[in-house]
Amino acid sequence: MKKEILITIRGVNKSYVKHIVLREIDLDVYRHEFLAFVGKSGGGKSTLLRLIAGLEQPNAGKIKQGGHLINKINDQARMMFQEDRLLPWMSVQDNVTFASKKPDDQKEAKKLLSLVGLTEYANAFPTKLSGGQKQRLALARALFSHPDLLLLDEPLGALDALTRRNMQDLIMKICQQRKITTILVTHDINEAVRMANRIALIKDQLIKEIFDNPYRGIDTNEAKEKRALISDEILNKILN
Amino acid sequence: MDNTIILKKINFSFRKIIPWIIPIVIILFWQLIVSVGWVSATILPSPWDVLKDGAELTVSGELPKNMGISLYRATVGFVIGGSIGFVLGFINGLSKIARLAFDSTVQMLRNIPHLALIPLVILLMGIGEPAKIFLVAIGCMFPIYINTYHGIISVDQKIIEMGHAYGLKQSAMIRKIVFPAALPTILMGFRYALGVMWTTLIVAETISSSSGIGYMATNAEQFMDMKTIILCILIYALLGKLSDYIAKNFEIIFLEWRG
Amino acid sequence: MTHTLRKTLLFILLFFWILITVYGWFQIREESNPTLKTVTIGFQAGDEFDIAKSRGKFATKMEKKGYKVKFKEFQNGAAMMQALATGNIDYARVGDTPPVSALAAGTKLTYVAAGGTKEKGSGIVVKKNSGINSMADLKGKRVAYTKGTSSQYMVLRALKTAGLGINDIKWVNLDQDAAAVAYSKNKVDAWANWDPTVAQVEITENSKLLVNGQQAGAVNRSFIVSPSKFAKNHQSLSKLVIKYGEQDMHWANTHHKQVIKLMTKELKLSKKVVTLEIERRTFGIYKMNDKYVKEEQEIADMFYQSGVLNKQATVAKHVDYLK
Ligand SMILES: Nc1ncnc2c1ncn2[C@@H]1O[C@H](COP(=O)(O)OP(=O)(O)OP(=O)(O)O)[C@@H](O)[C@H]1O
Ligand SMILES: [Mg+2]
Repeated sequence: MKKEILITIRGVNKSYVKHIVLREIDLDVYRHEFLAFVGKSGGGKSTLLRLIAGLEQPNAGKIKQGGHLINKINDQARMMFQEDRLLPWMSVQDNVTFASKKPDDQKEAKKLLSLVGLTEYANAFPTKLSGGQKQRLALARALFSHPDLLLLDEPLGALDALTRRNMQDLIMKICQQRKITTILVTHDINEAVRMANRIALIKDQLIKEIFDNPYRGIDTNEAKEKRALISDEILNKILN
Repeated sequence: MDNTIILKKINFSFRKIIPWIIPIVIILFWQLIVSVGWVSATILPSPWDVLKDGAELTVSGELPKNMGISLYRATVGFVIGGSIGFVLGFINGLSKIARLAFDSTVQMLRNIPHLALIPLVILLMGIGEPAKIFLVAIGCMFPIYINTYHGIISVDQKIIEMGHAYGLKQSAMIRKIVFPAALPTILMGFRYALGVMWTTLIVAETISSSSGIGYMATNAEQFMDMKTIILCILIYALLGKLSDYIAKNFEIIFLEWRG
Repeated sequence: MTHTLRKTLLFILLFFWILITVYGWFQIREESNPTLKTVTIGFQAGDEFDIAKSRGKFATKMEKKGYKVKFKEFQNGAAMMQALATGNIDYARVGDTPPVSALAAGTKLTYVAAGGTKEKGSGIVVKKNSGINSMADLKGKRVAYTKGTSSQYMVLRALKTAGLGINDIKWVNLDQDAAAVAYSKNKVDAWANWDPTVAQVEITENSKLLVNGQQAGAVNRSFIVSPSKFAKNHQSLSKLVIKYGEQDMHWANTHHKQVIKLMTKELKLSKKVVTLEIERRTFGIYKMNDKYVKEEQEIADMFYQSGVLNKQATVAKHVDYLK
């Protein structure tokens, strides 16, 4: 299978007032892949994601998606944040459609709500939702405009272990079904190894290494052991 | 289990009564001390006398007329001052340049007790209706300005960023995010301004007027007509309570989402 | 409460609010007739112009001469002098002291007419059972007055007439309403005031006039003053005001019963009080003369000498005799 490239990042530097966060970043993101960024806190993972979303501009270098330079908000990409960032004054369904100008989108919104299991809350306000439900709503919102690219900035960080696992499965399932390219930022290496087929380690302002993870989504004991080995390797690289 | 439900119900209706207990006790006590003669009725007329006075003034048409006029002055002043405060607060909240240009001036003016402006207002606008309405407008403008302004500048930047990331344009951003997010604070200013509206009006109506509740009170004061004075105070209390009730309900309806 | 119920309730409340507001607007809107020139007259409750206003004839007569009369009520003379100084009223009916104070403060005003006096209805009241029966008994007692008003002049004059010194009594400066309470509670022994308050106190507080204005030499006359510039340019109008005003005053003097009825309603006082007041009062509106000027000058002198005012006004320089 020939891999089609969706995003190319070339020679990207980013610094805030003399404080360098990222330098000489070169990276290709393939269509339909699930990529994860891992690294120390403050290492620049979110910054790289925000550059791809067009929320920030690099000081040097270029980021292209499908051949187009990203120099303003990237409307082919949708982002999920660590906080739900829902609009509490809109109903659950309106939160899904809020950025749309099309009036016949209610059907799609209903479909997405049922996909994330929130059908019965469609007309309620988000205050009525639990933390996990809120993130599911944020996921439905991100999927609404059929984005090519889903950017996840630690969206599961605040959830309890069980809810978190369910959300991981849900995200993996949906991204596979809808064939969405996904980039996940996480500080949980096990989560990265569980969900992503490639894992990029960001260290010393660079992409230090990229790990292939062919064992993703396989439930045999052997695959689990292999995944554990990859985790260990990544962890060692981060700490060294 | 049935018992607890009944208990809860009793508890619930009792809770509704609690706020009324003290006022009712005060009124009964007041009626008592006047009826028994501990206090002379010329100094403190009984609630019943006040009520009778109110009925008489209503029948003669004087009370409805003065109330209507007071309400007119209050409302027009509130609408004018409130709109200016709202628009100014909104613009200053949104635009850094407008903020630089206007905010410090407004903050400076805000610190002048607006009743200290009375002599100036009389000089500039005379003693007719415009002067009274102007004072009420000034009084109502600042709370609404401050709250609108603060409501808007303190909208969560993370939610604004989310709006940007989801491709919202300026006008949609204001409609869907900035305004609703600032609304609780704006409504707080609205509620506060309604209170200021009445206190300013009382004073405004003592600058030579021949109508309005404030006039009724000062006029009665001149002739030691305690019944009417107390009646006017009660009417003010009632109108104040009523406008607060309206404002509270606006909050409940518009801020339903707060849950 | 359900949401719809709350909304309905709010809607009804706002509906009534707006309804009453519109009603108030209609009440306040004067159909200003552009062909008529507006004359604004400041008055105080129960005074000469209050009678003219209640009777209604004055405005009709003036309208026939091309003037629309607007009566503006004030709570006290000082407020009226302020409105006069800023040109907001054309004529002000005041007591005898406010114009003197205003002149001393530099206000450019002109006396255009004088009114009757309240010499029998103003003075110093004491409780009948207080044991105070003469001015001499007042020595060392607390006397309530309001600074800068006729009551202060009244006390000064009464002391002088009785041969007492300024410091023979304890002066208690109080607002009208504060004084009322203080007097009723016996916190002060005497109270200098004028009708209808004096009449009210005599009837409800078991009191008597220890000395009235006539005895004290402070007649408590009323005056009509105008901004100087206005007075100079509107002499014929001033003459009309005096003429029609005097007609109403003549009516008032000859129709006590009707006046009592009118004023009982207007002042919201008991009929007994109003009767007492009206029966001992003579109404009038006259052109200025030397006697009135002298009365005013005496006030100016006494206020200056006793330090109430820090400038001495020369009343004669500010009078239009309308010859
Ligand atoms: N707007 C900004 N202005 C200045 N410095 C910033 C800004 N945004 C991020 N930084 C700095 O850039 C560095 C990288 O931040 P970034 O949020 O990308 O880290 P991260 O890898 O996502 O960390 P974490 O795992 O804690 O979220 C940090 O040192 C941070 O202080
Ligand atoms: Mg981060």
